[in-house]
Amino acid sequence: MTNQITFEKNSFSKRLKSMLTIDFRRMFTTPLFYLMVGICLVMPILILVMTSMMDGTVNINPQTGETTVIEGFKNVWQIIGTASSASADAASAGMQMDLSSMCNINLVYFISSVFVCLFVSDDFRSGYAKNLFTVRAKKNDYVISKTLSCLVCGISMLIAFFVGAMIGGAISSLSFELVGTSVGGVVMCMLSKLLLMAVFIAIFLTVSVACKQKSWLSIICSLGASMLLFAMVPMITPINATFLNVVLCLAGGAMFAFGLGYVSDLILRKTNIL
Amino acid sequence: MNAIEIKNLTKNFGEKQALGGLNMTVPVGSIYGFIGENGSGKSTTEKIICGLMHANGGEIKLFDRPLSDPDVRAKVGVLIESPGCFPNISVWNNLMLQAANLSIENPEQEVAKVLKMVRMEGSASNKYKNCSLGMKQRIGIAMALLGNPVLLVLDEPINGLDADGMRIMREVLVDITKTYSCTVLVSSHILGELEKIATHYGIIRGGKMIKEMTAAELEANCPTYVALKAKDMEKTKKLLERKFDRVVEENEYIRVYDAEKPEQIVKYLFDNKITVSEIKTDKINLEEYYINLMDNKEVK
Repeated sequence: MTNQITFEKNSFSKRLKSMLTIDFRRMFTTPLFYLMVGICLVMPILILVMTSMMDGTVNINPQTGETTVIEGFKNVWQIIGTASSASADAASAGMQMDLSSMCNINLVYFISSVFVCLFVSDDFRSGYAKNLFTVRAKKNDYVISKTLSCLVCGISMLIAFFVGAMIGGAISSLSFELVGTSVGGVVMCMLSKLLLMAVFIAIFLTVSVACKQKSWLSIICSLGASMLLFAMVPMITPINATFLNVVLCLAGGAMFAFGLGYVSDLILRKTNIL
Repeated sequence: MNAIEIKNLTKNFGEKQALGGLNMTVPVGSIYGFIGENGSGKSTTEKIICGLMHANGGEIKLFDRPLSDPDVRAKVGVLIESPGCFPNISVWNNLMLQAANLSIENPEQEVAKVLKMVRMEGSASNKYKNCSLGMKQRIGIAMALLGNPVLLVLDEPINGLDADGMRIMREVLVDITKTYSCTVLVSSHILGELEKIATHYGIIRGGKMIKEMTAAELEANCPTYVALKAKDMEKTKKLLERKFDRVVEENEYIRVYDAEKPEQIVKYLFDNKITVSEIKTDKINLEEYYINLMDNKEVK
C-alpha cells in the first residue's frame, strides 16, 4: 500500500476534448440524428411538391358558398425566407399567416428542440450522466460540448432543409429567380439563420438540463419557448439579409449561448444529478 | 492519508433527514465494507462522494483534496444502482464511450483488458439491452475499472451475480487494491461475501456512523463458541450454566462461549449422563455481529 498518490492534471481543454469526443461520437451514431436531418431534407420537398399540386385549387365553403383559391409557392426562395419589407408588412397586418410564413425553413428550429431534448435527456435516462459527472467536478465542459454538438446538428438540419428546398423546387418546377434579393442576400440569410440556431439551442439545452430525464416536459417547454420567438425569426433573417443581420444573429447567439450556458452550468452544479 | 474523509455530513430530503452528521474515514488501499439497513443512508453517502448529489452540510475530502477537485475526481470509478449504459448500443461501444470520457490513450486495449477481467470478452458485441442482469452488473464493474481508478465506489455490486460472478468480483477487487493501490468503498447486503474481502468496515444506522473498525478488530469482537444439540435441551442448558459463564440458546443450538475445547463440554455432559447428538466449534460472523449490533444485543 502506498500513501503517496499523484494525480494527473485534468485541464479544461482535456476535459472538453473528451466530452466533445463522446458527444460527437454519440450524435453521429444515434439514428435520431439521421432521422432529424432526414426529416429536414424530405419536408421541404413534400411541402413544395404538394403545394404545387394544390396550387390554384378552389375551395368552396359549403355553408357560406364562399370560395378561396389555394395559392402555392411561386418561387423556391419563399420557403427559405421572405423579404424584410414583406415581413414588416405581414407584421403590420396583424401577423397575418400565409403558407410561406408557416411552412418554411424556420420550422427547423422547432424540430431541433426535439433532438436537443432527447439527446440530453438520454444521458440522464440511461444513467450515463452518473459516469459523466462522477469524473467531472466541473460542469461547464458538459454544457459547452452539448451546445456545440447540438449546434452542429441544428446547422446540419438547416442545411438539409435548404438542400431539400432546392430539390423540391426543381421537382415542382418552381422559379429560382431571385426577386428583391441577390445571391449575397441569400447567403447572408442562411448564415444568419445558422447563427440564430445558437439562440434556440441555448434555450433548449437549459430547459433540457433543468428537466433532466423528463424528456416529454423538456420538449413541451422547448416548443413553447420557440413559439414565443418564432415570429421574430423572419424579421431577423430575411431573404435579403445584410451583414448587419449576420452580426445581429452572431451577437444574439453568443449572448444566449454564454448567458444560458452559465444558467445550465448553475443548474447542474446546484441540483442533484440522480 | 485517507482516501475518503467525511466530517459531519448532513443531507435532507425535504423534512426527512437522510444523513445526520455522518463521519467516515476510509484509508488508502483499503476495501471498506459499508453496511447498513435499507434507507440508512449508504447510497446517499456514496452519491454525495461521487458528486451526484449535494450535501446540506459537512465536509468531504478525497485524498486530502476537496470533492470539487477535477484531478482527483477524474480517477474515481463508480457503480451505483445500475451501470450507466445506453441500451441500444453494444457493450463494446458503451465501454469505448466511457474510455473517451476518461481520456484513455489506448481505449481498445483498455476496454479489452477490463472485459477480460470480468469474463465478458465474448459478449462485447451484444447490445446492452439484451444482456442479463448479471451481465449488466459485470459490465458496470468493467466500466468502473476503466482507467485504473484510485477510488472505486460500488453500491451493491454483487446483486444479481452468480457464484462465478461473485468469485470474479472478489478476485478483481483484491487484485486492484494490491496491484494498483486502489481504494474500494463497497456497500452490500450480502455480508458473507463482504467478509471475505473487506479490510475495514463502517456500519451506518439512521444516517449516522455507529461503528467503524478494521477486519482485525471485527475478528477480535467475534468470539468463537461451541454449539451443541442434545435430547433434553433445557436440562442441558441448565447444567452448562452451572459450569460456564455464558450459555445461550440460539437457532436450535446451545452456544457455550467461554469453553476452551469441545471435549471439555462433552466430558462434562457425559459425566452428568447427557448424550450430545451434535457438537461443533463456530465463530460469530459479520452477519451475526451486524444483526446483534442492530438489535443492540451484547457483542463482546
